[in-house]
Amino acid sequence: MSNKANIERLSTGVPGLDNLLGGGLPEFSFNLIVGTPGSGKTTLAHQMMFSLATPDTKALYFTVLGEPALKMLRYQQQFAFFDITKIEESIQFVHLSADLLDGGFDRVMAHIADKIKVYAPKFVFVDSFRTVARSAKENTRGDSDLPRFLQQLGMQMNSWQTTSFLIGEYVSPESETSPLFAMADGIICLSQSLHRNSMLRKIQVVKMRGQAQRSGLHTFRIDDDGVRIFPRAIVKGSISTKVAPDTAGLETRLPVGTPGLDDMLGGGLPMGYSLLAVGPSGCGKTVLATQFLAEGVRQGEPGVIAAFEKSPSQLLGNKKLYSMVEAGDVGVINTRSLDLSIDETLHDMIKMIQKMKAKRVVIDSLSGFELALAPEFSENFRGSLYRMIAELTDLRVAILMTSELEDRYTDLRFSPFGNAFLADAIIMQRYIQLAGQFKRVLSVVKVRGSAHSKDIRLFEITDDGIVIGDVLSDYNGITTGRPELDRRPKCPPDKG
Amino acid sequence: MQIHDLLLRQLIIELTDPDPEKMVDNAIEQWQLIAAHIISIIGEGGFNALYDRSVILTQSTFPWLLTCELQPSAHKRFSALRASLEDQTTALASEANYLLLVNFTGILESLIGAELTTRIFRSALEETRIPIGKGVNK
Repeated sequence: MSNKANIERLSTGVPGLDNLLGGGLPEFSFNLIVGTPGSGKTTLAHQMMFSLATPDTKALYFTVLGEPALKMLRYQQQFAFFDITKIEESIQFVHLSADLLDGGFDRVMAHIADKIKVYAPKFVFVDSFRTVARSAKENTRGDSDLPRFLQQLGMQMNSWQTTSFLIGEYVSPESETSPLFAMADGIICLSQSLHRNSMLRKIQVVKMRGQAQRSGLHTFRIDDDGVRIFPRAIVKGSISTKVAPDTAGLETRLPVGTPGLDDMLGGGLPMGYSLLAVGPSGCGKTVLATQFLAEGVRQGEPGVIAAFEKSPSQLLGNKKLYSMVEAGDVGVINTRSLDLSIDETLHDMIKMIQKMKAKRVVIDSLSGFELALAPEFSENFRGSLYRMIAELTDLRVAILMTSELEDRYTDLRFSPFGNAFLADAIIMQRYIQLAGQFKRVLSVVKVRGSAHSKDIRLFEITDDGIVIGDVLSDYNGITTGRPELDRRPKCPPDKG
Repeated sequence: MQIHDLLLRQLIIELTDPDPEKMVDNAIEQWQLIAAHIISIIGEGGFNALYDRSVILTQSTFPWLLTCELQPSAHKRFSALRASLEDQTTALASEANYLLLVNFTGILESLIGAELTTRIFRSALEETRIPIGKGVNK
């Protein structure tokens, strides 16, 4: 039997927060929730409180000058987590202002102690602690009382076996000097990051004694359900001294749904590969993507689509896709909010992939995705995309990404972002001018670790989808957009 | 000020005690309990603001209802209300107190919703010597 103290970890009830904390909130910990006004501190505190509080593990929420308690009750009630049946039974709100106005930390401490003795809570919240410290300082003998009060408060909270939270408006330079921050077992910092015209909410677990919290800043949203945190995707993987090709995926190939294209890819798309379909607007990338999903449905493989260029009604105007979505075979990620974070999008995609047990994922298109991201992420789109693809391929799903690339006939490019290297396979679709008409051609540029066709073939978009045609073997200069017939005599086949 | 929630309205009705001997004492006791409980949640300033508004609204029907600064001491807090009620007949005092309660809970209901208001009131009045449920239906 271990003689060490067993620190139980409590589930906070806030999506994503337990992950950041390193597995949950340590029982009996003394925590700070800090941030600027409007950053979501009170909402986060309430969400945790309503999740944690039960008739056997009650919570006391002390309010001080600052947000009027009536207003707080009025607005916090709007969130789905606010369970009115818990009020009085499991949660009690207590106002502290009178004690502060009358004077002294001692009075405040006495009132808190009295309430805790009578109600016997397991969780205590003080909102806002900054106001307690500021008001008491003005009334009493000076700054020396504050450290003493903090120490006493910390000891009392510990001996009462409560898990406690002090909520306050602190900005980081102050946090370096306040004794409160040294005393606290955990510090959760919320912020609103303004970049150009876009605002991103971020949370950081600055400190959590006794466990390894997830470092860095992570984005979160506040919606009708409360706070939702999207832990930042960190690319996993070890550096091995052995270089061994991953051949497992090559053995299993997925049909892509366009007749003829599987052969061009060397037998279909290897399992777990990412395929980039790149080409100018109107060349059929979305049609290719729809056929990819439809083939999956035929094979019994559910799919997920994240479409960034079309509204849901436009997307579902595609009858084939509409029928798959209606049947529940394809899930659609809602991507119409702007100022997305890469982590939020990834989180939603992974959630839907796991829910549907999807094997195929379509991102249509990367260009639209870049525009939908908050500037902070779009400015480092390559890095963001790298993290996202790494996470998705870890799930062993086949990913098809489309990317708009305007035809420039003077150079050969496969991506407007310089991230073609991220894809395991690339299909290039182009327009060419032939016999007075615009024709479409496609070619497989790359399939990592596999042989593939080098042909440039004509294709058409019909009511039944993409139909691949002949190789343009009699033409040169196809990539210039204006191929010319190759009039050189062809060598006869060797009869010897 | 109207109370939209039926349960809350019924609760207020049930608080009214027709006993002429104890009507004012019981009314003051109820107010003291309500005040103590609500002050613990929203503070003295919060309660005073709500009560003052309720008195002003009630005065439109019962202009003899006194307004003055609420005393912080629990025993003296409603001395003006007591004085006003004691000067009237039991029936009139009961009606005025009923309307005052309706206005007070109505304001609270509009701010924090009926369900939470009912919860707070029930919790506050669990301590009253007058059991909830006895009273004249209005």
